[in-house]
Amino acid sequence: MGSTEIPGNGHELASVAQQRAERLAELPFEVSVSAGPKSVGGFFASIREIAKHRELLDLLIRRELKSRYKDSTLGFLWSLIKPLVQLLIYYVFIGTVLGASRGVPDFAIFVFSGLTLWGLYAETISTGTASIISNGGLIKKVYLPREIFPLASTGSAIFNFLVQMVVLLLAIIVLGQFPVSWNLLYVPVAFVVVLIWGVTFAVVLSALNVFLRDIQYLVEVAMLLLFWASPIVYSWTLVVQSVKTHTWLLDVYLLNPISLAMLAFQRGLWQAGSQTRVLGDPGNLTVVPPVQWPANMDLLLVLATIAGLVALFFAQRIFSRLQGNFAQEI
Amino acid sequence: MTVSDVTASGTANRGGAQLPVVVRAENVSKRFVIRKEKSLKERIVNFGRSQKHKDDFWALRDVNFEITAGTTLGLVGANGSGKSTLLKVLGGIIEPNDGFVERRGRLAALLELGAGFHPDLTGRENVYLNSSILGLSRKQTDEYFQSIVDFSEIEAFIDTQVKFYSSGMYVRLAFAIAVHVDPDILLVDEVLAVGDEPFQEKCMAKIKEFQQEGRTIILVSHSASQVEDLCDRVLVLSHGNVVFDGGATDGIAALRESFDR
Repeated sequence: MGSTEIPGNGHELASVAQQRAERLAELPFEVSVSAGPKSVGGFFASIREIAKHRELLDLLIRRELKSRYKDSTLGFLWSLIKPLVQLLIYYVFIGTVLGASRGVPDFAIFVFSGLTLWGLYAETISTGTASIISNGGLIKKVYLPREIFPLASTGSAIFNFLVQMVVLLLAIIVLGQFPVSWNLLYVPVAFVVVLIWGVTFAVVLSALNVFLRDIQYLVEVAMLLLFWASPIVYSWTLVVQSVKTHTWLLDVYLLNPISLAMLAFQRGLWQAGSQTRVLGDPGNLTVVPPVQWPANMDLLLVLATIAGLVALFFAQRIFSRLQGNFAQEI
Repeated sequence: MTVSDVTASGTANRGGAQLPVVVRAENVSKRFVIRKEKSLKERIVNFGRSQKHKDDFWALRDVNFEITAGTTLGLVGANGSGKSTLLKVLGGIIEPNDGFVERRGRLAALLELGAGFHPDLTGRENVYLNSSILGLSRKQTDEYFQSIVDFSEIEAFIDTQVKFYSSGMYVRLAFAIAVHVDPDILLVDEVLAVGDEPFQEKCMAKIKEFQQEGRTIILVSHSASQVEDLCDRVLVLSHGNVVFDGGATDGIAALRESFDR
């Protein structure tokens, strides 16, 4: 083989064969099941299996990023142009024309931080859901831990998120709004919560999509709706005001881990939200008090993380059950 | 080599040397359910009649065998007899409904027309990707890269996107990668009849070299001459059952017989 086993005379080859036989005789048998172990420990076995393939995961992420804008002149710039245009639309139309920015100081930073985090979630789920189908050729031919396909989509979504993050941070610094406070710690926490829930849905939906192709279209529609279920283009203050005395509605609203993560992300990066600001033209000034963040936000974030990990466990178990039939359903 | 030669310790006696068993299939059964509708609309419209829209058949029924190291096994049978399904079960791609397959050693499958290739990536990038899919580390691929390119004889196009490759070039590269993975067990599904004649000869030479190196090859083929030429054991499948297990020449005769049934 290659450099090591140059075909020589018959005797040498026989000993190569013999060495191979001896080595193989030592190896334990592995049950080749494509569905992975069924027990609870199967979750950790699958994680180990994925960890073994991390080099491949890395290559798949690169493949996804490279092939996306391969033949376009602007290339990666496109992954920035879309969110920037979104920002422009929300800033001009929702913010200025419809007046959503009236109670929201530094509306641009507010919206762009929301869009950045939402982009991570939406891209993870929508590309993740389609990932098993789009890699069907491979899945039918070789055994790999199939979880790496939704994970590779997640990887490329994280990359795009980081690019947007750089733009966001630059903008914040240029505007002189960099928040030097402990609130910054909310940023990684929000990222982790969104990532866990994004991966959970990506894993379970990618498996279901194999059996019911409508899932991927359903996901697109659901993401459109869910966009408005989190405080991305409107502020938490607006939510608090509109529920009036029915405060239990706020609890329901915060059951969505993404809404919670969104608030944490904004609390970390959107300095103006935690300060008293004065807005408007001279003569028509309004004083905007700091946002009343949910009282037990830290606890809720911890709970959302734990619940996410539990959900991820079940998502992987469902995936594991379903993947045995992937090759024949694709 | 038949199953009865195999001793309890998982080794078999051939030519005086103890050869270990590398693949063991026990009571492997696979049932396919064919649903005719795929979309939600179709399912709702056909709800209740759904059972009528299901068709199932056994692609494999209680298949038992063991393969010792160094064997070249041919899986033959009429179209739809279950040979490719069996190969997929052996490769862990499809899970059997019943029974199990055990194996040991590194397994590689010759991917049909470079299934792992991404058309937008260059040949070089695809070599790394495909090697990784087949289980090579990055370092090993670096080591074998020149040898892979030399074997495929497409050095001039290695930095071209593979979507511009001819199908022959595609297969050359895919084959070159698969043979460099250093497999203990190689699964081959009808892909040897590719490329031009010199390349086919090169492939055959490589397969023979593999045999001498004691690698186990499991081959699905419709070409009787190829099976007779390469295999030292043949399994004939018919409607999901193993109807013959033995030497290549007798195997081909049994195959012809199974067509008539």
